[in-house]
Amino acid sequence: MKKFLSTMISAAVLVGAAGTSTIVSAADEVNVVMFGMPYTKGLAALADDFEAQTGIKANIDVIGQDVFENRITLSFTGKSGDIDVVHTPVIQVQRWVSANWLKPITAEVDAMAVKSDIMEGPMDAYKIKGEQWAVPYMAATGLMTYRKDILEEAGVEVPQTWEDMLAVAAKIHNDDTAAIAMRAVPGQGFNMFIFPMVMRAYGGKFFEDYTAGDLTPAINSPETLEALNVYMKLLNEYGPQGAGNFNFAEVQAAAQNGQIAFAVEGTGIAASLVDPEKSQFADKTGITLPPGGPAGRSPAIAVHGLGIPASAKNPELSAKFIEWAVSSETMTKIALAQPFSNFTTQSVAKNADVIAKYSKIHPDFLAVQAEALNLAIGHYRPLLPEWPALGQAIGENINAALNGLMSPEDALEAAEQEMKDILGQ
Amino acid sequence: MTAKSTKQVSATADLERGYRNMVLPAVLAVGIFAIVPLAGMLALSVSDYHLLRGTNWEFGFKNFVRLVSDKRLMGSVYAMAVLSFFGVTAQVLIGAAIAVGLSKIVGRWRLGRVLFLLPYAVPHVAVALIWLSLFTPTLSPINAFFDLFGVTVPSFLTTQNGALFAIVLADTWTNFPFAMLIILAALQGISPDLEEAAALDGATRIQTFFYVTLPLLIPAFLLVTLFRFIDSLKHFPMIFVMTKGGPGRSTQATNYYGYIQTFQNSNVAYGAAIAVTLFIVAAIISFYVAKLNQRVTS
Repeated sequence: MKKFLSTMISAAVLVGAAGTSTIVSAADEVNVVMFGMPYTKGLAALADDFEAQTGIKANIDVIGQDVFENRITLSFTGKSGDIDVVHTPVIQVQRWVSANWLKPITAEVDAMAVKSDIMEGPMDAYKIKGEQWAVPYMAATGLMTYRKDILEEAGVEVPQTWEDMLAVAAKIHNDDTAAIAMRAVPGQGFNMFIFPMVMRAYGGKFFEDYTAGDLTPAINSPETLEALNVYMKLLNEYGPQGAGNFNFAEVQAAAQNGQIAFAVEGTGIAASLVDPEKSQFADKTGITLPPGGPAGRSPAIAVHGLGIPASAKNPELSAKFIEWAVSSETMTKIALAQPFSNFTTQSVAKNADVIAKYSKIHPDFLAVQAEALNLAIGHYRPLLPEWPALGQAIGENINAALNGLMSPEDALEAAEQEMKDILGQ
Repeated sequence: MTAKSTKQVSATADLERGYRNMVLPAVLAVGIFAIVPLAGMLALSVSDYHLLRGTNWEFGFKNFVRLVSDKRLMGSVYAMAVLSFFGVTAQVLIGAAIAVGLSKIVGRWRLGRVLFLLPYAVPHVAVALIWLSLFTPTLSPINAFFDLFGVTVPSFLTTQNGALFAIVLADTWTNFPFAMLIILAALQGISPDLEEAAALDGATRIQTFFYVTLPLLIPAFLLVTLFRFIDSLKHFPMIFVMTKGGPGRSTQATNYYGYIQTFQNSNVAYGAAIAVTLFIVAAIISFYVAKLNQRVTS
């Protein structure tokens, strides 16, 4: 009967997915499905290397993130076995493990020579119920870029806290250059990648005590309210026009066009803003940690890795591919070919060419990134199977408050109630 | 019955059998690619399947009962109704106006028709990206232009009505050519004799249009409205790219809400119930429009 339901799901989404081809693995082929990011694009370009080294043909499919979600749901619920290695964001891994979509790979990972070279924090993020479920290849973190010339002219220092940021923003904001832009569109990977940096700085939290296992929603607190008011004030009063619908692309464009002084963003976007090849204001732009608050500094973190679907037909080949994909050699090639600095295979950072490349972008870049990663907490966004649903619900309420559809008090109250509903409390 | 006519009958039967065989692959394709997934969706909608919690094998109409009391669903129906009503109305009116204009153009300039078809050929995600940048004040050339005169164009995507308007506009831009095409074809099917006859009877051009041409176009209007309406229930790419359902939840049309329930919240069964309800609504409306069409044509 379960099989029947799975078949029904596959059938139900079949029409939508009729355009995607289904390749059934041959004996010496691995089918890899990932969504577009610098690393995945770089990896796809190296597919021939893998075949030359191992004799195994790698079909690396890099697709859009929205299509990805549908594609894997279809494949995993239908147990079609057409994916051998899958892009596994840490934010999804709990949900996938709960749904029995992934194969535990503790033994396979233990056998990999590269294991000791991979950063421990990101590696542990994929440990659930004592098993390893994926191998990380990147850990993006939250960074802040700022226009040195604008701060200098106004005679102000780089803000260390969000409180400082409010004061600085008030001084530098004008019609031509807004003070700051951050992601605002609703979604667990959009405003909920950025907002928790403000929330955690003020001591706000998602649950009563996440680390002790008390998952009573606690987002409706005075701390989170204060943080939300700061976030709203920054974007509504000191942000560019239309900031309430900004996603990372709009933040990036605004900074590249010199329309904002501060951007708080993920590593990839932040790097592009200090890269002279990508932004005409790069030489005037500095990079540092995102601001903190009374409860400290909590840069965002997003880990991405590679996992093996439970339905994969030939897990040994899959493991072989993953080992190659996260090896120091492959990672170094990608770090050099793509804007990819947030690798989790540590020895890549020792490569002279890699150091040269990223120091040229900005001398502080690699050091600031390492410091931010060091400060970031693994459960910045709670590692729960329900997180995508929770993040969506909270994000929608935060966005509604930001755009004046409801008061911040009501938004947090609604968010907490919806969290309870989702968790069945 | 004479031998000759029997032969004729059997020849017609043969011919009909031949045609039936020709239709068979299409029937099979529809059966496999439409009926089977629909049946699957129906089965899911009465189940309790949840991606994380699995299923307890309880079947019933719980999901449909929940639909009635779901405030978010009601909000999504409002967004969908606004998007569909204004979008379809604008597409049909603009499409009709351009079709009437184009039908009067003869000679070389007829090629200009192709120009109006271009928006229809652009993929929806690309259309959405174009309009997203036009509606993002920091990127939009429109805002930059008015800035020159010190005029600030309001930000549309951060208000409920503004965001709905932006999506209607993007949807209209890409879909009016479809309405135009169908109405143009219908216009060309109207014999010029009728207009000439009306002119001979002393009717003005405007009278001719309203009393002769327009009534003859009603079947085409019904057809194009129906097609566009059914399609408009499936709003997704514009919302996904332009607003992500925001601000807040104001542009979460029902289809988008179903996506969130299914893929973000893992409520597969509930998402299926939303989809089934949408399908039933579309089916009922299609049925009545088809009947209306029959009445008009007969």
